[in-house]
Amino acid sequence: MDFNTAKHAKGAKIFGKYSTMKVIAITGKGGTGKTAVAGMLIRHITKGNKTLLAIDADPDSNLPDVLGVKIGKTIGDMREFMLQERDKMPPDTNKERVLESKVYEVLTEMPHYDLLVMGRPEGSGCYCFANNLLRGIMDRILKNYDLTIIDTAAGLEHLSRRIIRDVDELLVVTDGSRRGLQTAERIRGLAMSLNLNVKKMHVIANKVTPENRARIEEYARELKMDLVGVVPFDETLARFDLEGRPLAELPEDSAAMKGVGEIAKRLGL
Amino acid sequence: MANEFPFEISPMFEGERVRKDDMFVELAGPKSRGFELVKAAGLDEIEDGRFTLIGPDISQMQEGSRHPYAMIYRIAGKLVEPDLEAIVERRNHDFQNYIQGYMHLNQRYDVWVRINKDAIKKGLKSFEQIAKATMMLFKNELPFIEKIEAIYVTEPEEVEKQRAEAIKIYEARDARTRGLHDEDVDVFYGCTLCQSFAPTNVCVVTPDRISLCGAINWFDGRAAAKVDPEGPQFAIPKGEIIDEKGGEYSGVNEKAVALSGGEYSRIKIHSFFEYPHTSCGCFEVVGFYVPEVDGIGWVDRDFSGNAPNGLAFSTMAGQTGGGKQIIGFLGVGVNYFRSPKFIQADGGWNRVVWMPKNLREKIKADIPQELVDKLPTEEDVSDLKSLKDYLEKKQHPVTKLWKKEEASAEAESSDGDASQAGAPAWSVPAPAMNLPAGMPMMPPMQLGGGEGVKIVLKNAKITIDRIVLKGKEK
Repeated sequence: MDFNTAKHAKGAKIFGKYSTMKVIAITGKGGTGKTAVAGMLIRHITKGNKTLLAIDADPDSNLPDVLGVKIGKTIGDMREFMLQERDKMPPDTNKERVLESKVYEVLTEMPHYDLLVMGRPEGSGCYCFANNLLRGIMDRILKNYDLTIIDTAAGLEHLSRRIIRDVDELLVVTDGSRRGLQTAERIRGLAMSLNLNVKKMHVIANKVTPENRARIEEYARELKMDLVGVVPFDETLARFDLEGRPLAELPEDSAAMKGVGEIAKRLGL
Repeated sequence: MANEFPFEISPMFEGERVRKDDMFVELAGPKSRGFELVKAAGLDEIEDGRFTLIGPDISQMQEGSRHPYAMIYRIAGKLVEPDLEAIVERRNHDFQNYIQGYMHLNQRYDVWVRINKDAIKKGLKSFEQIAKATMMLFKNELPFIEKIEAIYVTEPEEVEKQRAEAIKIYEARDARTRGLHDEDVDVFYGCTLCQSFAPTNVCVVTPDRISLCGAINWFDGRAAAKVDPEGPQFAIPKGEIIDEKGGEYSGVNEKAVALSGGEYSRIKIHSFFEYPHTSCGCFEVVGFYVPEVDGIGWVDRDFSGNAPNGLAFSTMAGQTGGGKQIIGFLGVGVNYFRSPKFIQADGGWNRVVWMPKNLREKIKADIPQELVDKLPTEEDVSDLKSLKDYLEKKQHPVTKLWKKEEASAEAESSDGDASQAGAPAWSVPAPAMNLPAGMPMMPPMQLGGGEGVKIVLKNAKITIDRIVLKGKEK
């Protein structure tokens, strides 16, 4: 059976176990709080029974900090390692195997989830072969998780290079500004032109206040966006942000966490 | 047969990861030590199916613990020979990953194994079960193995002792592998990864020629083509030898036609001037002909200055890239400098007249020792005049070509102006760099000859905004 069709049939068997294997990318304009939303969503999901992989695919973001995780090296470092070391390796070294092992080495294993950081962008050399190996490796790694959540920049790098393929759903985080929703529209266009095969796209409005709520809903309707939920502006969250405290310590009953919980429910996560 | 084991065995478990939360025990890996080794032995030296364990067994290990781990297999058969050891050894990874709940990563002294808690719950309690399953797969899948035995080691000191021995074996093997040349194989490998931006590129990877990007050697091609023969790396049967020194083969030529969409029908793998390899754009180093000294300079991607011809890597790369066969320029991978067949059709190292210092340092051990000091870098020369003086002063082998050239140029000096190469015209930038990409270019090839230059333009569409002709200022 073709793996792709198997994957989307609910509860397909992977490695002898039933898995729903879903890949969700979270993106949005800088400053909208997409990483905070991603962090809260990850925290919410780890309370359940799903095996979860979190991927930080935005070199500008700080998902590990938000999650309160210290990370060492990144996938980018390992790809660079391969480029630096390849001529010194025994000629018949299986480089895919070496790179796979290196990727596993940089996978941070947390209770209830694993975290992978894509890290530094490519240098000036040719990354065709290394990226091609990485594609196969990422495909295999993703199969091990019921759910993968990717925090990615609005340019959708790594998705456009197909390092991470087959994203099922795209969540675009926007704030109360019209620009945030315009970015969402651009991302929709980009995802379509890149042929990412995204099955669904949703918008999450973040930092929503009673004053701007109606307007956001109206914008979303105008742009024919599916507004899957709102995360209310949260004093506690804002303070955590200011102090650089990981959102893992955010109280369960804070307004923002509750909003994210509602969204997760609606997304079936 | 498989039901003698408490675990399922199937290729569908390849890629199954054992997470820390689910892990019963970790063996070898980045935080411990280990290795895997296959050794050939005589048929009478092996007791088929025997398993020996040195050190604690799985049942004696604590949940969540980490241990050193070595897996040694001895194989025998009428067709088994030491050359097969590495190929068989690589399959240990495949076969062990068929075992549900058992994760095997990497190879040789970098192996990394984890066993799942579920596997233990289902009845896995001894390495003997793992070894027996692996040996069964070895014999089923590789029928030339008539007898096999396994020795697993988990005792730390013994792992260290055996590991030191194994490293000697790996090193001897690597020396043999490095001794593999174009003439020893029947198949080369091709790669189309660059065709998205270099559609006529014909990338041929041989034991003596790494891909231009430096990423794919012959063994990588073989490994990839085996996994997915329809993938971006594939086999190219060599066919008949047409020119041994230049490295021209009928099989490569046939593939060149197919890959380039009919653009190229001949490729000489080890030639710079005649039917050279196409250049994709990914190359690590670009070679450039310097007609003034009849030699070849090389500049790598990391060098930001100008080569003695006044051009930077990026300029020459822009001209050379795109999957074209361009006489006068050639993209290569750094490792090609280590090839014994390095541009052998054109005199090899004797023709190399310049490279950046960092590049020279990187490959110093592989440059013929008598040439290292004769090969100038940006620290020794800055332009064509100083390059020529340097080569002359150091009596670089390329100067021998000049003497011949001068002699023939003098003999036919009547229409010498037509031959650019013979004239010491320092003010002329070597190749015409402003030709539009896509246009075949023929830098002067008739060195020192009096017949002038033959320019063939095929299918050319030339647009020129402005041509300014100026007389010589006197």
